[in-house]
Amino acid sequence: MPVESVAVSEQAPARLVMQGISKSFGGVVALRDVDFTLRPGEIHGLVGENGAGKSTLMKIIAGVHTQYQGRMTIEGQDVHFRSARDALGAGIGMVHQELSIIPDLTVAENVYLGQQPTKRGMIDWRTMFSGAREHLASLGIDVDPRARMGSLAIGLQQLIELARVLFSGARIVILDEPTSALSPPEVHRLFEVLRAVRASGRSIVFISHFLDDILAISDTVTIFRNGRRIVTEAAAGIDKGWVIERMIGRGHEDLEGSYTRAVALDSKPAAPVVLALRNLGVERAFADVSLDVRAGEVLGVYGFMGCGQIELARAMFGKVRPTAGHLEMEGKVLRLRNTADARRAGVAFVPESRRAMLFYGEPVYKNMSISILGRISRVWLKPAVERNVARRHAESLSIRPPRVETLLQSLSGGNQQKVALAKWLTWPPKVLVLSEPTRGMDVGAKEDVVRIVRGLREKGLGIVVMSTEPETVLSLADRIVVMKKGMIVCEFAGETVSKDRLLEAA
Amino acid sequence: MTTSSGVKAEPPSGSRLGAFLRSQMRNIAPFATLIVLLVFFGMASPSFATLDNAANILTQISVAGVIAVGLTFVILCAEIDLSVAAIANATGIVVAYFTLQESYVNIANVPLPAVAAIVLALLSCAFLGLVNAVGLTVIGIPSFIMTLAMMQIGAGICALLVRGQIAYAVPNFVATMGAGSIGGIPWIIIVLAVFLIVGHVVLTYTRFGRYVYMVGGNREAAEYSGVNVKLVLSAVMVISAVCSGVAGMLGVAHFGSAQQNEFDGYLLDAIAAVVVGGTSLFGGRGGIGNTIIGLLILGVLNNGLDHVEIDSFLKILIRGLILLGALIINVYVQAVRENERTG
Repeated sequence: MPVESVAVSEQAPARLVMQGISKSFGGVVALRDVDFTLRPGEIHGLVGENGAGKSTLMKIIAGVHTQYQGRMTIEGQDVHFRSARDALGAGIGMVHQELSIIPDLTVAENVYLGQQPTKRGMIDWRTMFSGAREHLASLGIDVDPRARMGSLAIGLQQLIELARVLFSGARIVILDEPTSALSPPEVHRLFEVLRAVRASGRSIVFISHFLDDILAISDTVTIFRNGRRIVTEAAAGIDKGWVIERMIGRGHEDLEGSYTRAVALDSKPAAPVVLALRNLGVERAFADVSLDVRAGEVLGVYGFMGCGQIELARAMFGKVRPTAGHLEMEGKVLRLRNTADARRAGVAFVPESRRAMLFYGEPVYKNMSISILGRISRVWLKPAVERNVARRHAESLSIRPPRVETLLQSLSGGNQQKVALAKWLTWPPKVLVLSEPTRGMDVGAKEDVVRIVRGLREKGLGIVVMSTEPETVLSLADRIVVMKKGMIVCEFAGETVSKDRLLEAA
Repeated sequence: MTTSSGVKAEPPSGSRLGAFLRSQMRNIAPFATLIVLLVFFGMASPSFATLDNAANILTQISVAGVIAVGLTFVILCAEIDLSVAAIANATGIVVAYFTLQESYVNIANVPLPAVAAIVLALLSCAFLGLVNAVGLTVIGIPSFIMTLAMMQIGAGICALLVRGQIAYAVPNFVATMGAGSIGGIPWIIIVLAVFLIVGHVVLTYTRFGRYVYMVGGNREAAEYSGVNVKLVLSAVMVISAVCSGVAGMLGVAHFGSAQQNEFDGYLLDAIAAVVVGGTSLFGGRGGIGNTIIGLLILGVLNNGLDHVEIDSFLKILIRGLILLGALIINVYVQAVRENERTG
């Protein structure tokens, strides 16, 4: 495969060079002969579909994967990390999508985690607070170091985790999907901090599915596909369409268009109401939410992180008990004592985190059959039926590999997500609640989800899609409500709506 | 930091075999331990490897075995039941309490027909299990603490009913099951076999069994799949208590007496059997097959140590070390699994 030449950043000597890196997991090749170069003072964006190999490469750098082929040098020195601790010692820090902060400690304690200053064997709080304030200020983060970490907004927590990684001496920082949970002003602030970090000569690897963000902040962009590095290019000279084309290897202008262009909502005000929410409230989460979920209509609920939609979804599935108001299913009051009640009543839910939905150590077919076991059998299991049902889903959702006896943990993230959805497809429920159905997915897998949801809508299901990404709601919903701080602030139905109008409303 | 350039991957066949062995470590290690013990005692003592002794071993593990069947359900759900021995003791005493005792037995017992005594005993152990279940699922007390309290409650029931005395008589049916034999085979071994088989069938071939594994594997995911997690947890606590109760009645018949603190050693034995056999303390992995191996290991160890010249006080230490070894393997295997998941 021809690799286009690197035209930028030839001036500075490389900080990290990886040559001919290959890695496979039990016969499945994750990386094939990949070269990667990172320079001081560079922000390097990594893009690619799920399973393209970018995470695997970063885990090799961070010392998580220790078995691989190829050569890695840092500042000209050959290295082969035996553990994450090795990598940390060599100045490599990672900020994961799921933050590893300790919410019950103060900001300063989090920054100094594991290296608190001491005086006569006691923690030197004065030095710690002033040191943390100084360090954070040097990055342009203005926050009280005595504040409890858990009381801060997620965007601020992330910046503080980044500050901690830098404080521990990291010269190379890997950020995994740093903007996925952030509101636009928070993204803006993160970028400010990243520019300050870059100015100090440190190197940043920025992994994200948000191509706008990648292009806005990166100096260099590397694109992965199927375990290979396709191209490395200066970010200044390329645009989103160019990246998407190389990421998925085919023209995708149409889909891209549907995200940025205004969308005409195909609302169905006359369709029968399946599930009605009446003045529903959960303390400290949301209040006075009244909504109608209609058969054959996709209702989108959009709002920033923490607007209450996560709790709203759980209240609809019997996981969280409402403290006010009630639910009505087809006109009758519905009381949900637990999730089993919700399942029996015909409500299905796919939470935003795959971890909360899947059994990693079990085969694919058991993951799919768990929510329909009661339909397949009363007492005695029928594994043959389970496998057949699972095979059908694996085929129709093109899950790879298609063997349903495979353990779930050996599937890629996107395929795991499809398994999570497949759980509810055998006997379609009356109402399907999806929380962040496309988060962290590549363009191709998102298309699959859109296709599946449309198919279910045609079958007459009432579907609710909750998301913090306007694109997700816009690409799926027929009617959109916007939530803000636990309240529904506006509704779009039967009109044309675009991303900026949604953002404006939230 | 170590430096090297170019690490060769292992040949695929070798690593695949390695991966298979690692994944089966949970089952292989206990089985290997059992074989080693059998070979060792067989060579060390001529009286060990006999048919009579085999029957002895099986009889000796029966009471702990029936308790361990119920406990396997609980541990598969990543919970624990510390009240099993106390419930066994209490149930054994209840069945004796409702049976006519000899005149020299000085307890205020209430003689009832045998069937009524047995039914009342079963109801009382089921009730105690239900209290455990309510504490765990409705009130939300961790099972470790809840069953610790129940352990004390069980001991209290025993104390109140017998008041320091010893009862001897149990219903005939119970006496036969606990101490009788048919065609040379002790009934207690047959009862154990039935419990093991039923336990295995329920866990492997029924919907409820699948739910037990799934709740243990990932409780949150089970809940989000619409499984009534609290109902499953309640059920396993009741199953555990009923198994303990049956074991208690058998034990009372087997020992020929019902008294306080009679079953104290069985708590450790039952937990050890389940865990030594390789069932994961973190839930979701293992099963009755593992428990059988664990029971045999304990049985062979206890019995074998009697056949060789060994300080009887040292036996206690050896049992502790074996349990520690099993725990290390149990936790180590879990760590390997976690690694493979994130890897």
